[in-house]
Amino acid sequence: MTAADIKAHIDPIRHEYADGRSLVLPALKYAQTEQGWLPPEALAAVAEATGYSQAYVESVASFYDRLYLEPVGKRVVSVCITLSCMLRGSDELIEGMCEHLGVEHSHGAVTTPDGAITIQEAQCLGACDKAPCIQVDAENTIGPLGQSEANALLDELRAADRPRELWR
Amino acid sequence: MPIMNNVYRHTTAGKHLTDLADYEAAGGYVALKKALGMDSDDVLYQFHRSGLRGRGGAGFPMGRKASFLPKDSPHPSYVVCNGDESEPGTFKDREIIEFNPFQLLEGIVMAGYAVRSHQTYIYLRGEYEHQANVLRAALAQAKAAGYVGDNIAGSGYACNVTIYLGAGAYICGEETALLESLEGKRGQPRLKPPFPAVAGLYHSPTLINNVETLAALPPIIENGGDWYAAIGPEKSPGSKLFSISGHVMKPGNYEIVLGDTTLRELIFDIAGGLRPGRAFKTCWVGGSSVPVLTEEHLDTPLDYESLQGVGTFLGSGGCIVMDDSGCVVRASLRLAHFYRHESCGKCSPCREGTNWMEKILQRMVDGTGRMEDLELLDSLFGRISGKTLCPLADGAIAPIKSSIKYFRDDFVRVIENGSPRPEPMWEVAGV
Repeated sequence: MTAADIKAHIDPIRHEYADGRSLVLPALKYAQTEQGWLPPEALAAVAEATGYSQAYVESVASFYDRLYLEPVGKRVVSVCITLSCMLRGSDELIEGMCEHLGVEHSHGAVTTPDGAITIQEAQCLGACDKAPCIQVDAENTIGPLGQSEANALLDELRAADRPRELWR
Repeated sequence: MPIMNNVYRHTTAGKHLTDLADYEAAGGYVALKKALGMDSDDVLYQFHRSGLRGRGGAGFPMGRKASFLPKDSPHPSYVVCNGDESEPGTFKDREIIEFNPFQLLEGIVMAGYAVRSHQTYIYLRGEYEHQANVLRAALAQAKAAGYVGDNIAGSGYACNVTIYLGAGAYICGEETALLESLEGKRGQPRLKPPFPAVAGLYHSPTLINNVETLAALPPIIENGGDWYAAIGPEKSPGSKLFSISGHVMKPGNYEIVLGDTTLRELIFDIAGGLRPGRAFKTCWVGGSSVPVLTEEHLDTPLDYESLQGVGTFLGSGGCIVMDDSGCVVRASLRLAHFYRHESCGKCSPCREGTNWMEKILQRMVDGTGRMEDLELLDSLFGRISGKTLCPLADGAIAPIKSSIKYFRDDFVRVIENGSPRPEPMWEVAGV
């Protein structure tokens, strides 16, 4: 994604902010939709489009959980493990999902060797009524999910094409 | 024990008002037209009269907060809606936005009129992209119908609403961290004062209120501040959405009149009670950052004063319930993990302290804890509490400190034996 692409995305909303720095976060989120993470070239493009240094935009990006500075899978599956979900079995759910994917469960993000799916523990997703709940990229959080439903969802995600824009 | 559908009736009546025509047919935008026919100060006065307290967690009177904005500032003033909703156990704003986005849009424009602002922002947590899309669609309809934009409803008042998304950070629900994030910076809290009312967004006067607070404004203007003030107890007027989750049969959002319903009624009647054969153990009544309660507190009425009277807070109204199958030490560890993960790192007592809290609780759960760890935790709390810029660290301490106070025997048992794995997964199909 080029700086021009990013400018085309943020220029129409620039007038809504008294300071153009506010566009850094929307620019980062938009830049991420292409590859699903922010490689150095994407950060450079955001820097050019917003007029801030690459070091600055990277420092902002590094603050937020949903901006990725390392490669992640075609789809990112976030499994909520905070208290309400824990009380309804999120720990076993994520372990079962990792087993289904053939990856080692870790507190951080782990990606399948084929790059199809990144599975990660998430802090409270704001859907405790649906516990245990999960979120695929930034789609609507779903739940409550049993193990077999969750595994079936993983199979579906693996088989499906990547969305054109990866909002995560 | 009345379940109320008065203030957020459109949200909890089961009918989703995501279409403007439906919202207008349900009485929507009558209040905004009424407000725009009044003087700004009179609208503000009605907010004040209502006694509405901030529904995000702090419970500060909304009208008073709005009255702190200087009227003679050379800078433009802003209204910012806090929709970061990241407090564990809290999911009420999500449903207001999903099911009743126009009531929020009507409320925020009304607040804008009261404080003479022409630009408002709704900051949503990054995970609420779906809710943002619902809101964007509603905003487009509201703009097309002249309820947002220039010359709103023919009144000459102009107000724009901008939706802004975060990208995954609990701390951005803290108002000054939210402003930093909205200004395109790392979301770290500011030193206060100055308060946002004086120097908020872009160093300008800013009113920040939670989604639920702003959505309460249309019925207040429609019926008058005194109408709202007459609902519930004098110091905690109105109704409140409680999000209830954890070990209850019917988790969800319920609107109740403050002071009219006890914690027992919320859990056992409204939320369907516990699984058969299970007993109540504890609950985090106002989100996870508040002191826990025990069985002896179940008959406490749910309002700001009564809950403070038993040593906790109404907070966000995110009530997490745990039955006797759960382990308080394991639950404490999970919360410590949350706060350690979400500490922004600006203040060392929080950054380091939450890390140590998690480590100590982890070794207890693993069965390698020491009896002195209870004293160590206590001394740690004293070294963190009140020594940070924002309330995150105190929120991390409150549930754990109170758990040790009420369930010391459980901690001792876990230190001696570790904590067994939780019992098998909650039967999803049976719920």
